[in-house]
Amino acid sequence: MIEKGKISSFQMALLIVPTIIATAVLVVPAITGKFAGRDLWISPILASLNGFFTTFIAYRLHKYFPKETVIQYSGHIIGRLPGKAIGLVYLFFFLHVCGIICREYADFVIGSFLPKTPMTIVIGSLVLVCAFAIHGGVEVLGRAAQLLVPLFMLPPLLFFLLLQDFKIENIFPIMEHGIMPSLLGAVVPQAWFSEIFLISMLLPFLTDHEKGGKSSMAAVIFSMFILVFTNIVNIFLFGGTVSAYTYPVFTAFRYIGLASFFEHLESFVIAFWVLGIFIKIAVFYYAFVLGTAQWLRLSDYRPLTLPLGFLVTIFSIWVSPNEQEMSKFLGTIIPFYIPTFMTFIPMLLLLIAIIRKKFKKKSFTT
Amino acid sequence: MKWLTIAGITLCVIFMALFEWPKMDRHQKKEKAAFVTIVAMGWLLVILLLFFPEMPGPTQMIDKLFKPLGKMLEK
Repeated sequence: MIEKGKISSFQMALLIVPTIIATAVLVVPAITGKFAGRDLWISPILASLNGFFTTFIAYRLHKYFPKETVIQYSGHIIGRLPGKAIGLVYLFFFLHVCGIICREYADFVIGSFLPKTPMTIVIGSLVLVCAFAIHGGVEVLGRAAQLLVPLFMLPPLLFFLLLQDFKIENIFPIMEHGIMPSLLGAVVPQAWFSEIFLISMLLPFLTDHEKGGKSSMAAVIFSMFILVFTNIVNIFLFGGTVSAYTYPVFTAFRYIGLASFFEHLESFVIAFWVLGIFIKIAVFYYAFVLGTAQWLRLSDYRPLTLPLGFLVTIFSIWVSPNEQEMSKFLGTIIPFYIPTFMTFIPMLLLLIAIIRKKFKKKSFTT
Repeated sequence: MKWLTIAGITLCVIFMALFEWPKMDRHQKKEKAAFVTIVAMGWLLVILLLFFPEMPGPTQMIDKLFKPLGKMLEK
């Protein structure tokens, strides 16, 4: 096996939680708010159904091929050449999505905190840090997650400082127009929940295989709670006008002010949030690097880390000319684009694997 | 200015090679080939993007592919 490190299932869950919510808290409430209005908080619950479904698929596939990642077992399931083609498509997908995430990060940081810094520097520095983490292997990633994710979870607690500004009546009437608006609003977050399929790149390196499915489910539930919580806070604060802000969650943090002394907490919040986006980019980037090495059947993936990081940086600048097109892309294309690769293709792979296993038991060896 | 950027990117690439090359031993021919190919791809892409910044990218391709579905969510 290329990767010699091992992580525990708890570390894997810690890696996956920021992978779902780091950018979901950033851009999703505004897009969901456009459809769901006051029922914003129901949407993550509905969206998490896709998360559970995808976890189930990834875990079943992992049961069939316990020592392999999606790049490797696609070859076993549908034959060598089509498997290579699917692998290439996945690599392109990882590269593109990695670029999109870096771009979201850069747009946000430049827009709100570093207006004069060139985008190349903002993205390049983060990608470089991720490259060093990945150079250390999956074990370093797991430890980094153990260290950083608890800090990343601190900012939601700060919302309790806003208690006097909450207007509970904003949330009523619940489901004024039936379930349809919140269902439409769930279309966008379900793309983020389908990103849990990245566990298929991490599951082969677990020390405790049998707990892998359970801890991924726990990760989905936990992410759902965080999203529901931030969305409820947003409704209490802004009511139906959540979609008027580009980054509603961070606007909410700006409202915090205690005795006109404890103010401008958003600078703390962004420092903690960068930890989360670091884990998110590192996980996608790791999947990309490891996948490339497995696709080319190399003996080591470390030499490819920096060149592929270079590609990721270029793609992040190439993906979109400006912020408006980016947010349109996130709102209309991403809800179909990511689940196609993270839920739909794995589902087909699983179906084919099940059918092949049923019909010719002898030749189907893992 | 453009030539300065190209010089900077080339410097970046050289640093990357200096960092990674000594870590690969003599038997890892495939790794070396992959390294060189990927770096060359990135370097060429940067130069292309520098001279044609409006070049249609992967996002436009995905946009075309998923447009019919995306229409449902436009508001």
